Amino acid sequence: MNKGYLCIVLHSHLPFVRHPEHEYFLEEDWFYEAITETYIPLILVFERLINDKVDFRITMSLTPTLTSMFADSLLQERYLKHINRLIELAHREVDRTRWQPEFHPLAQMYLARFYEARHTFERYSRNLVNAFKNFQELGKIEIITCGATHGFFPLMDVCKPSVKAQVAVAVRHYERLFGTHPKGIWLPECAYNPGDDQILKQEKLNYFFLDAHGVLHGTPRPKYGCFAPVYCKSGVACFGRDLESSKQVWSSIEGYPGDYNYREFYRDIGFDLDYEYIRPYIHPDGIRVNTGIKYFRISGPNNDKSPYVPDWAKDKAGEHAGNFMFNRQRQIEYLFDWMQKKPVIVSPYDAELFGHWWFEGPMWLEFLIRKIYFDQDTIRLITPSEYLAENPRNQVLTPSMSSWGWKGYNEVWLQGTNDWIYRHLHQASDEMTELAHTFAHRHTNGLLQRALNQALRELLLAQSSDWAFIMATGTHVNYAVRRTKEHLLRFSRLYADIKNNSLDEHWLADIESKDNIFPEIDYRVHQ
Amino acid sequence: MPVKRTRNNKKVSLKTPKRRKARLLKTPLRKKEVVSLAATTKKSEMPLEVAVGESKFYLGEQPSKMYHGQGELPAAYGKDKVVLQTRDPWWIHAYWEITPTTFDRLRERLKEAFFSAKRVLRVYDISQIVFNGKNAHRFFDIEIRDETNNWYIDTQGPGRSWCVDFGLRLANGEFITIMRSNTVHTPLEGPSWITDEEWMIPDDLFARLYGMGVGFGSSPLKLKRLWQERLKRELGSGALFSISSPRKAKAQEKGFWLVVNTELILYGATEANAKVSVGGQAVSLRPDGTFTLRFALPEGKHSMPVKATSFDGNKEKTITPIVTRETK
Repeated sequence: MNKGYLCIVLHSHLPFVRHPEHEYFLEEDWFYEAITETYIPLILVFERLINDKVDFRITMSLTPTLTSMFADSLLQERYLKHINRLIELAHREVDRTRWQPEFHPLAQMYLARFYEARHTFERYSRNLVNAFKNFQELGKIEIITCGATHGFFPLMDVCKPSVKAQVAVAVRHYERLFGTHPKGIWLPECAYNPGDDQILKQEKLNYFFLDAHGVLHGTPRPKYGCFAPVYCKSGVACFGRDLESSKQVWSSIEGYPGDYNYREFYRDIGFDLDYEYIRPYIHPDGIRVNTGIKYFRISGPNNDKSPYVPDWAKDKAGEHAGNFMFNRQRQIEYLFDWMQKKPVIVSPYDAELFGHWWFEGPMWLEFLIRKIYFDQDTIRLITPSEYLAENPRNQVLTPSMSSWGWKGYNEVWLQGTNDWIYRHLHQASDEMTELAHTFAHRHTNGLLQRALNQALRELLLAQSSDWAFIMATGTHVNYAVRRTKEHLLRFSRLYADIKNNSLDEHWLADIESKDNIFPEIDYRVHQ
Repeated sequence: MPVKRTRNNKKVSLKTPKRRKARLLKTPLRKKEVVSLAATTKKSEMPLEVAVGESKFYLGEQPSKMYHGQGELPAAYGKDKVVLQTRDPWWIHAYWEITPTTFDRLRERLKEAFFSAKRVLRVYDISQIVFNGKNAHRFFDIEIRDETNNWYIDTQGPGRSWCVDFGLRLANGEFITIMRSNTVHTPLEGPSWITDEEWMIPDDLFARLYGMGVGFGSSPLKLKRLWQERLKRELGSGALFSISSPRKAKAQEKGFWLVVNTELILYGATEANAKVSVGGQAVSLRPDGTFTLRFALPEGKHSMPVKATSFDGNKEKTITPIVTRETK
């Protein structure tokens, strides 16, 4: 008999980046890299587990922007082009490293991985939504939704219709893609503003997640801390993140990804190799970028790096998985003793941590799942829905405003570098509400309806929390500023054209083809 | 500056002078200062979580291209408005727009008094009341320069509700509200003191749980301090949530440096229909029978036998370049 549960949540998200107006667009590489390094490796892990009849449960939020990109035929084409170029480069690397025994097997490893990525991509008809949908239908993963474009809800408090639209559009999108209603939601950045659960309730979402202090600082005090879900007054359940298990992966001291045997993220042949040689595989303007081929391990605290040794890294990943499981077992035994019920430990991670940043992450996850299945019976993996079905009686409280961002609140998204965006976003949101009211009961069709729907798309795209995040961290700031302004400017032109009855169909068709997310959108949800 | 009203309606500061100094350092003032403050507290202090989030968007050290937008957003929307947002348990942010028309009207109405009046944000603590403009628990004023359009306010009050008036404070002390903001709530900075009868938990047990929750093992330390200590650690250069080694390596100053590597190009030609191998491994020929190979050249002596075999396998020729790399 198990004494408690582990709920692993992988939050998978990228902002909507799609530029048909350019042959090549640097920022689209975020998506292509994540496919090769994160999503496909995770898919392969799940496939192997299923083939080996290892029962498991993973909760995954696949954000509507990410799934829209998975399903987009232009981006699918471009990914194929991208992976084909990588395969070509890897072939050349296999040749080039022939007299370097420390790198030659690594070049072969990358070549095999890229072939496998392309093969997997083709197997799922180039649409990775099919893969995750399949795992959900097999009952192994529970896919939840997120804000439509990952808008930061607490900073939309003065325009609630936008929060409603973020949730409603996401739910409709999920239903269209997965053919079923989502059971839960990952709040973008885990950011919660008391009362937002009412909006989740209206969309029949049963649960969401918060960082530890969101639950621990709730009122009244949570009897079981973060180790049992609580209900908001609306009846929506809320699961608190366990910081101890997060810390093991994140912390600089105990954190796994920093192990010296693991692959170094920042050493890439895109920067290391001769310019003329690497030039066909970097930015067409000749700017060096990452290729994804990285030959070194972290090695130590300074810049001298030694070659990566896959076997050492694999051993470490196994060791770390064992360590993680051991600690969860101790935690659960301790909690079970005095709670007198089965605790649930919630461990959410950014999916992009696995594979992209932490190359060995998917391997670690696979080891962990296998160990939990074969080696012990203290813990079982569980989804939030299963836990709630087994434990329907939980304490009612009001969680505290919180996020899982740096310092735990809204500061990353509200600081000197990005606070200027909110007056514009709020203005646009108010105008969208006005449009939705004006045309709520009027029968709209044709051009007007298209313009209203496009206005909501532009507003949602401007609201992505990624733009504010990027402005705060300082990489690709120009792009984030450009996207914020571009969508807001498109929105305000649509608003003016709708009000003046002066819609330009040619222009509308152009932005519809560029910002083609959410074909099923209905502007009336923004009320 | 937080103030309270005494019985004779004079405003007195609630702060000790020492605190005031600290606050001057802490309070981001004008936009420019906010930017520079954010710039100095940016990357190096952000923890691994941020670094990983950022790594999603990391494609290399080069800055991305400059983009020239097709237009600029309006500087103003022509509507009086004050909006408050919560940043964290202590700080709230206000932005506002007051139209020139509104100021013109006030100038006409107040005449001389307008010119000596100060633009002020009046911050009201309106926790658990229905605010009517006069019944705030306390309030304090922040003087605003004409060109400023947003402000970070240190409320010093977690777990409370706030609202601000943008207005004019006349020389005689009278305050004229121009625009009132929405209401915001600052979250608690620690656990609630309210417990639920049905879901009661003894203090020491909760302390233990809380400790586990915020990552302090199971030692029942004093509750009140735990969370603040974690926050402090995150703020400082402390160990728990700081950046792991991969991130550090990137941030590390390299100083003056030099890297030298060597590669070797091996090329040749034979009959277009011949077969060629280098060190036993087949090489593909171009249609005209030429071939080119590019190798990384490590230290030491390397012999690279190039063997060509005619299409019918009858003729064979081998040439073996020997290359030595010796780095001093």
